[in-house]
Amino acid sequence: MSGLMGYIRLEMIRTVRDGGYVIFGIAMPVVMYLVFTNLGLAPGDRHYAAVFTMVSMAAYGALGGAFNNGTGIAEDRAAGWLRQLRLTPLTPAQVVTGKVVTGVAGVVPSIAAVLLTGALVNHVTLAPGQWLSIVGLLWAGTIPFSLLGLGNGYRLTGQTAAMANVATLLSLSIIGGLWVPTTGFPGWLRAISGWTPSNSYASLSWHIAFGEAPTLREVAILCGWLVAFGLYAVYGYRRAARTA
Amino acid sequence: MDSNAVSLTSVTKNFGPVRAVDGLTLAIPRGRTVALLGPNGAGKSTTIGMLLGLVPPDSGHVSLFGHDPERAVRLGEVGAMPQEGGLIPRVTVGELLSFVGGTYAAPLPLGQVLALAQIADLPDRRVDKLSGGQAQRVRFAMALIGDPELIVLDEPTAALDVEARREFWAGMRGLASKGKTILFSTHYLDEADEQADRVVVINRGRVVADGTSAEIKRVVALTTVSVTAGGEVAWLGRLPGVRRLEVRGDRVRLRSSDPDATVMALAEAGAVRNLEVTPADLEDAFVALTAKETV
Ligand SMILES: Nc1ncnc2c1ncn2[C@@H]1O[C@H](COP(=O)(O)OP(=O)(O)OP(=O)(O)O)[C@@H](O)[C@H]1O
Ligand SMILES: [Mg+2]
Repeated sequence: MSGLMGYIRLEMIRTVRDGGYVIFGIAMPVVMYLVFTNLGLAPGDRHYAAVFTMVSMAAYGALGGAFNNGTGIAEDRAAGWLRQLRLTPLTPAQVVTGKVVTGVAGVVPSIAAVLLTGALVNHVTLAPGQWLSIVGLLWAGTIPFSLLGLGNGYRLTGQTAAMANVATLLSLSIIGGLWVPTTGFPGWLRAISGWTPSNSYASLSWHIAFGEAPTLREVAILCGWLVAFGLYAVYGYRRAARTA
Repeated sequence: MDSNAVSLTSVTKNFGPVRAVDGLTLAIPRGRTVALLGPNGAGKSTTIGMLLGLVPPDSGHVSLFGHDPERAVRLGEVGAMPQEGGLIPRVTVGELLSFVGGTYAAPLPLGQVLALAQIADLPDRRVDKLSGGQAQRVRFAMALIGDPELIVLDEPTAALDVEARREFWAGMRGLASKGKTILFSTHYLDEADEQADRVVVINRGRVVADGTSAEIKRVVALTTVSVTAGGEVAWLGRLPGVRRLEVRGDRVRLRSSDPDATVMALAEAGAVRNLEVTPADLEDAFVALTAKETV
């Protein structure tokens, strides 16, 4: 058991010292949030913009953290670290658990940083229940994206995996309406956006933030992608295990 | 309890058309230090990979201390250093080693391992900022920190300078004297000769010689018997024990598998002039062994 805790600790240390994580996962979303809301680039009145963009950017940051974790797997494999782990008494289940725990914990600072900025700088006020629901949904909703990132990490080599994950992060963020709201999109793009996992993911929390109930359609779409990305991650892992 | 630390029985591994390991059988009793010696591509790393449960054999059986490799690794009976890799960025040497130690039930104290691997001055250094030789020592320390019964090292001294190599072997002898079983691969013949109780020479995936270095030399290496001779010398090549004849000016070099008999025959023929007998070295044995296979 102490082995698993030690592994989680080690992976956390590595994450915190990772410039890519700090920039893409924490600093950039906070900066973008402040820029969008204070330069009048966000939609609606100031309060609406502060709330809407807070959710967008927290979602964007969380996705950044989730994909970064997947990129780390590819680097680990290239460095022979996965093999080194197999030479310790840790079981494969412990290794995977450790990586998932680190990934799941790693998105918390991203979400917290943007929400805190919203509350403290942009004076967003929500009911405690709303805050809790948003944190919970933004947190749990990263699982499909973590799986997609892991799938890329297992399937691709170091550099390629990093590129693939950044490209996926950016396209999902943009098409999903995290950077610019989909209301400004042409009709066809808005239709596509409605089917993306990123738009469904953020929509759940947008609804909560404006006192509405999330729709079943969003939950169903996100769950569909969860299954698809889960299969992809398993496929990637099998391939990686064969060629390692 | 199984008295063998390592037991490989007829293991074979193909990579596509390449037969990396070909029906290899090897048993290492507990407490021995064994060198795996062979040229590039001989199958040393593949053999070690199968022994550690990293590479599944196509056929044959592997057991460590009487159970399968994965289980032996889980039980902390094995510590290993692969030929390359295993270091990750953004952690310090101390953090990395503490983590690895923490996965074992009864690890050695960090300070002891740092001293053993000669990296006592490096615990706070980032792993990605190490020189090649320092990195190698950290990888070595990872293999030792769990205090395993079996230590497997794939080319442990490849990146070390002469001084570091000497200290490294001093440390290994200390571990061997505590009853640890050590298996290492190397290209360095002198190292196999000096450090191992037993040398297993492999080539093209097969064991081509197995014994103490003295035994291997005796079996395959040819002693050189040189004399000065003039005129017709072909008859010297037919003397007992002589396998090969080389003429350099007026010197004749006889490669002999039985130097006593050769010298005796030279004396009877009255041909002993400026006699010189040079014993075989392991290098010759190694070349003889591996060359035989490649023709
Ligand atoms: N993953 C792999 N895929 C394909 N071929 C491989 C693989 N690993 C090893 N081989 C081949 O198997 C043979 C044995 O390789 P191995 O790495 O075991 O040799 P070695 O004795 O360790 O050599 P070296 O001294 O160069 O480290 C070589 O011909 C090598 O090219
Ligand atoms: Mg090798």
